[in-house]
Amino acid sequence: MVLLKGRVEISEVLQMKNKRLALLLGTMGLLLFCGPVLAHHGRSNYDVTNTATVKGVVTQFDWVNPHALIYLDVTGDDGKTEKWIAETNSPNTLARQGWNKTTVKVGDEVTLVGHRVKGGGTYINFSKITWPDGRVLTPAVQN
Amino acid sequence: MKNRSIHPIFCALALFVFSTALAAQTAEAQGAKKAQAAAPTPDLTGVWANITEVGPTFNAKEGPSFQPWAEAKWKANKNDDPGQPAITNGRVNLDPTVASCFPTGMPRLMTEVFPFEILQVRDRVLILFEKDYLVSHIWTDGRKLPEDPDPTYMGQSVGKWEGDTLVVDTVGLKDITWLDRQGHPHSDALHVTWRVRRITHDRLQIDWTFDDPKAFTKPWTGRTIYRHHPDWTLEEFIACEDRLLHGGESLEQKAVKEGGQ
Repeated sequence: MVLLKGRVEISEVLQMKNKRLALLLGTMGLLLFCGPVLAHHGRSNYDVTNTATVKGVVTQFDWVNPHALIYLDVTGDDGKTEKWIAETNSPNTLARQGWNKTTVKVGDEVTLVGHRVKGGGTYINFSKITWPDGRVLTPAVQN
Repeated sequence: MKNRSIHPIFCALALFVFSTALAAQTAEAQGAKKAQAAAPTPDLTGVWANITEVGPTFNAKEGPSFQPWAEAKWKANKNDDPGQPAITNGRVNLDPTVASCFPTGMPRLMTEVFPFEILQVRDRVLILFEKDYLVSHIWTDGRKLPEDPDPTYMGQSVGKWEGDTLVVDTVGLKDITWLDRQGHPHSDALHVTWRVRRITHDRLQIDWTFDDPKAFTKPWTGRTIYRHHPDWTLEEFIACEDRLLHGGESLEQKAVKEGGQ
């Protein structure tokens, strides 16, 4: 997966030559990787057939139910900044994995991988967060 | 004359045999009662999380046999959009808990992904749910279920021990709730019988029977499995905080609207 700075890439896998293989691998990945995040949550509001990657700077982190929320500024190649909201698992689930209200800090540059809401809204449900120093967290419901 | 002399002897003999048998039976019954009293109550305590393969429901292989109104409701609730897994959560916009913030209620709570904790105290088994911090009180003091209960989200439950199994009966449930996460409807006549058993040290199995003559043409059965988490404590999950913070609509809902969906 290619990540262009400041760009939201929804359908890069579809640009690959072998679309069927990409879709198959993508679906398998989603089931293994992203499924748990949406396990207690309806999927119908999200484009679950494509993976979205969002890179931006955190402006706020809300430790709220039913999903912790990251607000971030995403600057495109054209220099324009979009306001994004990214939701992940619930605080109870995150707390069991060692997260707390300070895990994500204002000013952090983060890359999020997940599913964008249908219809083109600037909102995603993410299941992977990466910091520039290489730290990666993959929030998931653990049963 | 002959009969008159035989009669008292026969009666005395019969009385002796009968009383001996009665005494033996009484002793046997008392012994069984003592043995039962002496048998330790099975330990179901601990934090448990749902690992049922068909998580959102109780029985994915065979659904309920519905009455017509319930069938129509089920068809509306079921999320069978293309790309959705075969067994998944019901439609978000119709989900009483997700869309409208009603308490999840029983028995749906037992199909949720968040854990619960079982506590056993005198005369009661308590189930504390992480989701919405709800509590189920299962009375084990021998009381009867109410004849005509006022409906509540958690219902009224009584339980009794049958060997290693806690047999629970629950009635008095509001029909606002879904029976499970998948969106099966039910009526206020629902009578749930659940047999709770620790099949291994770290696995809890519950066999379910849902008897609801208003909604089903015959009782529906199912089974759920839970994993023991000795190192977990319950956290807090409140379903609708985001809506309360953002004017009655979640930010996700707003994003979907703004996106034109």
